Amino acid sequence: MGEKKDKLSTKRVHPGVKEMEKSLAEGKCSRREFLRTTTLLGISVTTAYGLASAILGKDILPGLISTAHAGQKKGGVLKFGMVVQEMADPATYSWTEKSVVARHIIEYLVETGPDNVTRPSLAESWEASDDLKTWTFHLRKGVKWSNGDDFNADDVVFNFTRWLDPKTGSSNTGLFNAMMEETGMKDEKGNPKKRIIKNAVEKVDDHTVKLNLNAPVLSIPENLYNYPTAIVHRNFEKEGGDFSKNPVGTGPYALAEFKVGEIAVLKKRKEPYWGGEVFLDEIRFVDLGSDAGAYLAAIASKQVDALYELDLTTLQAAKNIPGINVVSIPSTQTGIIRMKVNKKPFDDIRVRKAVQKCCDVKRQLAIAHQGLGIIGEHHHVATIHPEYFKLPPVKQDIAGAKKLLKEAGYPDGLEITCNVGNTNGTWEQDSVAILKEDAAKAGINIKMNVMPSAQYWDVWTKAPMSLTSWTHRPLAVMVLGLAYRAGVPWNESSYNNPAFDAALDEAEATLDVEDRRAKMEKVEKILQDDAVLVQPFFRSVFTATLENVVGFEMHPTRYYRFHKVSLA
Amino acid sequence: MVLLLLKRIGFMIFTMIVVSIILFMLLETGLTGDPATRVLGNFASDEQKELWRDQQGYNQPVIIRYAKWLGNFATGDLGTSIRYKGPVKDVLLPRLWNTAILGFWTFAIMIPLSLILGVLSGMKEGSLLDRTISVFGILTTSVPEFASAVFFSALFVFGLKWLPGTSSMAGGFEFKQLLLPAMVLVVYDFGYVARMTRASMAEVMTSQYIRSAVLKGLPYRQVIIRHALRNALIAPFTVIMLQINWLLSGVIVVEFFFAYKGFGALLLEASLNNDIALLEACAMVAVVVAVTSQTIADIGYTFLNPRIRFS
Repeated sequence: MGEKKDKLSTKRVHPGVKEMEKSLAEGKCSRREFLRTTTLLGISVTTAYGLASAILGKDILPGLISTAHAGQKKGGVLKFGMVVQEMADPATYSWTEKSVVARHIIEYLVETGPDNVTRPSLAESWEASDDLKTWTFHLRKGVKWSNGDDFNADDVVFNFTRWLDPKTGSSNTGLFNAMMEETGMKDEKGNPKKRIIKNAVEKVDDHTVKLNLNAPVLSIPENLYNYPTAIVHRNFEKEGGDFSKNPVGTGPYALAEFKVGEIAVLKKRKEPYWGGEVFLDEIRFVDLGSDAGAYLAAIASKQVDALYELDLTTLQAAKNIPGINVVSIPSTQTGIIRMKVNKKPFDDIRVRKAVQKCCDVKRQLAIAHQGLGIIGEHHHVATIHPEYFKLPPVKQDIAGAKKLLKEAGYPDGLEITCNVGNTNGTWEQDSVAILKEDAAKAGINIKMNVMPSAQYWDVWTKAPMSLTSWTHRPLAVMVLGLAYRAGVPWNESSYNNPAFDAALDEAEATLDVEDRRAKMEKVEKILQDDAVLVQPFFRSVFTATLENVVGFEMHPTRYYRFHKVSLA
Repeated sequence: MVLLLLKRIGFMIFTMIVVSIILFMLLETGLTGDPATRVLGNFASDEQKELWRDQQGYNQPVIIRYAKWLGNFATGDLGTSIRYKGPVKDVLLPRLWNTAILGFWTFAIMIPLSLILGVLSGMKEGSLLDRTISVFGILTTSVPEFASAVFFSALFVFGLKWLPGTSSMAGGFEFKQLLLPAMVLVVYDFGYVARMTRASMAEVMTSQYIRSAVLKGLPYRQVIIRHALRNALIAPFTVIMLQINWLLSGVIVVEFFFAYKGFGALLLEASLNNDIALLEACAMVAVVVAVTSQTIADIGYTFLNPRIRFS
């Protein structure tokens, strides 16, 4: 222990780490929060666990970390049922599935585990300045690309520069907005055009890269494990810019066969992997189309060993089949029934509040998602978010809803339409149907407009009311900034409240968990009181594997990695 | 005869051109939304869209674009698929081949089965055998493919564990994987063809010449094989040709359900993912198959039935 502490002191340690140590000692933050925040600030996971053990006076085991199980067998072929999509450009991936194949070939600077703790990967360690505006990443030495080149700072600089060039069309521009500036020009829609700030990404030496931001960002390491941020070789564009045709990577596997819509085959590389032993010789991703029933049938007849996703409609059936394990983990994936604040009748806050009051969150979770998840509180922050602040529980209030409707000028009730696209499953439709039932009691007639998912995404930011499925994000501030800050592209409710934006800015710039949580009270309260959204629940994610699959870990965003998976 | 052939072929081409115009208008013009948005998605910037339009020649007049498109199509250039990031032809041909394999086995089982059962049934209208076959045929035909697919996989995959649940052929071609999809298609379709054969057979059996043959003292077997069958099988021929058409739509459901990598699944995937070039190619293939099988049925029917040929 002493040795590790000594080692820590030779490097510059973020003062936040000291604060976190104090919080943990005083019981103000949980073990998990301590691990999460200190690793974010550049402490290695082993050290963080060591520190926590020392402070708490007992050994704490890294419960959810990818660890090899005793006696795992080497070799074998894992067959994984998943849609196989084109994966030409890792920077523009818009589906997690693409990254699941790529994740075994190319790697990220960091890796966020199933426990939401972010750990070193291609970056060995990192530090943040006190104002959270300068982040220094120390890159791992001795990592080789599959073409024989050394991995170095040029690769990282190339990737950042490429992501933040608007011509690339990468969604990473949203994650690293603080590294971009306005050009002064505007596009056809009147939105300002942006470009990367000069020197935003700076090569310090061959294995050190510095990010210079124009605003404090706490979640830089977490953003670096968002699925379109995999690091490709510095010659990616020069060599054709098509990853599936020229899959150069640092990971333990190489692409052996790739047919969109059919199959992707990965084979273990012969050279030793910097990250240690991997067990499987081959991973086969088998495309079974988009019918949930086909995936269940495939695993039931042992054609595949594990599935990318188990549909809610097939969950019960899977549980009943002997030899199949259902694995599940809580996540912050959710369905948000949002109302557009600038469209009638939702421009009247009383109408929005009335709709919100009709929602019975417990019944919603029990029926629409078979009880698998956490109830929502109409502010898009979940109890498993580290900065969650507990507000008084939300309750259904039909009488209150009726009263508000009357005040708003609808004494005889009101008819509204809600779009739903079932983009993530039919639970979306069920959730709206339950709200419809409850709202009817208050005299609100919700007409359901069920549309195909492709069509839904055409209008998702335009319809007055609709249910949108949002994915998991490890920090609440990450999703709130994307969805509710005034003027951002994904602000589907057109919500615009400077007080909310200011409160969110403050929370985003606050490192200390306790302080940040205190600031989240205001953020959550404003959003809840403005009644922009009805949020019935957060969903657990789950899937199925055969019993002979060892070491399979569920990930809240399905960022599967099979490095520590083996077959019995 | 030659005139009829030419007429038919002319009509065939005319139909295909009309369909291609409708298809082009629907998918490639602003009629049903901006193609650039459809291809690049909602999150594409205006810059990207403009670049794409320019590259793909979308800034040219519709007529010129259509002429070019038709020219490319006629010379075998089917464009580039967005979803597959490659030429449509490379994706489409193997998929069509897979569906042809499935179709071949389906027909290889379905045609003899339905003809034999239809003839047996129509030989003696109202007999116990006729009643049994008819009821069975109506029963299976009235169950749609998506229902029988569920039923068969519940029985053979989840219950008895005899057959693999999906037919993706991920590890190479395996005949076992073909059984379930073919079974679903056969069961749905054989009832219909058998019923048509039965009707045709029954009609022939009541005709004067059969009565004469029977009264003449010919053995029953000879009456059926020599006299009845030849005429009774004309109508089923047309019906069977039309089944090729039906098969192209039938495979969408079956291929989707069993994850079989054929034409039907491809068509569905193309439409769900706004893959314009792929969708156009799939639709045109479907039209070509429909029109061709129809024409062959018409010509064949004329050929088989002298009464039509000479009137």
